[in-house]
Amino acid sequence: MKTSFIKYFFRQALTNISDNRTAHLLGVGTIAIAFLIFNSFILAYVNINHWADEMGKSLTMTIYFKGQPQEIEVEELKSELINIQGVTINKFVSKEEAIRSLAKELGDKEGFLKGLNENPLPASLEIVFLKADREDPLPYNIKKRLEKMDIVDEVHYSEEWAGKIEAIMGAIKLIGSVLGGLLFLATLFIITNTIKLTVFARENEIEILRLVGATNVFIKAPFLIEGSIQGLLGGLLALIMLLAGYVTVMIRADFKIGFASLDIVFISPHIAVFLLLMSMIIGLLGSSIALGRFFKA
Amino acid sequence: MVFGMIKLFNVYKNFGPKNPAIVDLSLNIEKGEFVFITGPSGAGKTTLLKIIFCSERPTSGNALVNGININRIKEKQLAFLRRKIGVVFQDFKLLPNRTVFNNVSLCLEISGVQYPIIRKKVHQTLRQLGLSKKERYYPPQLSGGEQQRVAIARAIINNPSILLADEPTGNLDPEITIEIMALLEEIHQRGTTVLVATHSQELLKDTEKKIVTLNKGRIVK
Ligand SMILES: Nc1ncnc2c1ncn2[C@@H]1O[C@H](COP(=O)(O)OP(=O)(O)OP(=O)(O)O)[C@@H](O)[C@H]1O
Ligand SMILES: [Mg+2]
Repeated sequence: MKTSFIKYFFRQALTNISDNRTAHLLGVGTIAIAFLIFNSFILAYVNINHWADEMGKSLTMTIYFKGQPQEIEVEELKSELINIQGVTINKFVSKEEAIRSLAKELGDKEGFLKGLNENPLPASLEIVFLKADREDPLPYNIKKRLEKMDIVDEVHYSEEWAGKIEAIMGAIKLIGSVLGGLLFLATLFIITNTIKLTVFARENEIEILRLVGATNVFIKAPFLIEGSIQGLLGGLLALIMLLAGYVTVMIRADFKIGFASLDIVFISPHIAVFLLLMSMIIGLLGSSIALGRFFKA
Repeated sequence: MVFGMIKLFNVYKNFGPKNPAIVDLSLNIEKGEFVFITGPSGAGKTTLLKIIFCSERPTSGNALVNGININRIKEKQLAFLRRKIGVVFQDFKLLPNRTVFNNVSLCLEISGVQYPIIRKKVHQTLRQLGLSKKERYYPPQLSGGEQQRVAIARAIINNPSILLADEPTGNLDPEITIEIMALLEEIHQRGTTVLVATHSQELLKDTEKKIVTLNKGRIVK
């Protein structure tokens, strides 16, 4: 296409936007909020997926003991476990060690622990399955076997968490798709209506352009660009708001307490570009719908 | 394509069942002719030009314009045909929110002409029509005669093969009328087919050009 056309199209699209700026401003704001809601779901999904990946790398199993186990009992268990292929012993944590490390984590809130008569934390043994994959029945079999032992209270392993996380991810996916669909329609509606306003305001101009021999493509292109710009601006604004929200949360909160050190990641540049592209495509779609109705007449 | 040629065969145009605007009209205009279309108000002059320009479709009958059958023309072909036909509309059809310059440059922009060439051509044409000083004005700031000249400038900027002018002197005083007619004559001399619709008998008094007289949609002379 000739460069003079492209220049004309963009100049015309920008003129349209500035002539219709109130509608555009409102439109971009509303679209941004719609995208923000959708993007938040994407961000939640991305993070939970990230956590699940982290956990899946090596499977850690924690064996909690009843009361204070005898050293010999622990050593016996250790030597039994070490003979199983793919299992390594990470560490044994006694009741005292457990309470000490909790006190350290609490820092100046250590006082909470002073009121306790008795150490509530169990002793535990942490073992790692090196090349664990989700299909492997070994961790589950070992868990069952260990739980039958008298000295063992409970056995937890990260795979169980992964299962729960997968269920949460499924729910987020479902809600996100339904909500995404609704927001998609709402966004499309907003863009279609904004562009329709511009098209109606330019009815006279469109007629004259036709009379002097402008092709339909030439007449439509500026409106399509106008819609795409509106979608893109809405998408961009939503991403900026999401980033601002992310940064604020990262500064305010320390996620290392309680939940085993989970870092929150932002959506990757790839996904960000994808989201922007999608917002632009919705803009393009909305404006072509607006034009379609007009050009039929 | 046969540039500049217009042929109509038994063309009818009805706006509703009891409202015939053109009745059984056949007409043959050769390339490079200068023809006046005349007749009283409501005779069908504007409608005839609209059919040639494809902004109205005949109810029945056929027409060839530049060798193209207008009953079977496609969207893109229509756009290209219109670029070869300059039209001075009875109501000018200028864009009120664009400057004189931009109203005229529009016709070149749609063909993708590069800006330096557009600027040169528009300046030249506006100068020819005595509008150089009004370049940055908007149509509502101009007199009727000035608006008419802008409309003419827009119609001729593309060097069309056919020029249709609907009452091009309708709003002008006798002096400018003579100027405009001289201008149309000049365009005609370049080889352009020119059709001028007018109800002014004054304009036709001493002319040696072909005159087609319409009445109630029929050719009477
Ligand atoms: N769009 C339309 N809808 C209905 N009737 C129309 C339409 N356009 C023209 N007519 C009718 O067709 C007839 C011819 O109109 P036209 O405009 O061609 O006349 P004209 O010769 O150009 O008149 P004038 O000298 O006043 O411009 C008129 O009776 C008019 O009412
Ligand atoms: Mg008329």
